[in-house]
Amino acid sequence: MSRLINNVHFSAIILVLLTLISTLLAQSNIQENLLALLVTLSVVIKGQQIVDIFMELNKAEAKWRWFLLSYTILIPIILAIIIYF
Amino acid sequence: MTNVVLFDAINNVPVSEKTSAHKLPGDIAMWVFIVMELSVFAIFFIAFAVTQRIQSEMFSEGRVTLNASTGLFCTLALIVSSYFVALAVEAIRKGQNLVASRRLILAMLSAIVYLALKFTEYVTLVELGFDLSTNSFYTLYFLITGFHFMHVLLGMVIVGYMGIKARKDIYSPTDCSGFEAGASYWHMVDLVWIIVFFLIYIIH
Repeated sequence: MSRLINNVHFSAIILVLLTLISTLLAQSNIQENLLALLVTLSVVIKGQQIVDIFMELNKAEAKWRWFLLSYTILIPIILAIIIYF
Repeated sequence: MTNVVLFDAINNVPVSEKTSAHKLPGDIAMWVFIVMELSVFAIFFIAFAVTQRIQSEMFSEGRVTLNASTGLFCTLALIVSSYFVALAVEAIRKGQNLVASRRLILAMLSAIVYLALKFTEYVTLVELGFDLSTNSFYTLYFLITGFHFMHVLLGMVIVGYMGIKARKDIYSPTDCSGFEAGASYWHMVDLVWIIVFFLIYIIH
């Protein structure tokens, strides 16, 4: 299972699927707060995939990994809070 | 030059993999540069969000002139491009320079799709009479996406250079930090676009 999760092919599929889902959500009539929550969550997961799998920071020193992960977690959340709340 | 993958006799693990455990891929200078670039983009993103909060009507009108499918296909093109770069790194670590150079060509072709789509969007907007000076939305839109566009161009130069060196069989599984550094830069470009797509095309 962990080999699958740390796989570049699996990560690319997740990135494509999340991109398609967030585009569909943005064009649907979903409630604004729910949309904010879902698309923010999707961008956080996409960021984590790029940092951990594509950039391979899951194998690097924790300080570098967490620095980049904190960027991909905090920036979308801050942006969503500024815009929606 | 023939590349030989060295194996650790006890663990049967390639030496390159063993030595890369808990090691930053590429060069520390590239990571410092990546952190600086991400910080600059973060300032742009926050400026965009704050201005949207203040002038929400103007931003809603501005977004109507953008095509969400252009944003979607730009994102897919960059994801595919990053995927091929990640596969090229895997090939280099196995000593397969030629395979890596072919994967980098595919990555560049995918990046060209992104450039073509973005350029078409710019031309359409300018023809409709929107430019940097139209209002705050277009100023920030052109600044953020234009700055990112420049990063894609620089990334393509780096990836192209990596491809030429790989074709000359210069990298080896134990000496590929330059290749890893270039790949990390390209993934940074992808990471930034993921947030640009979210901020400009998805949130409304």
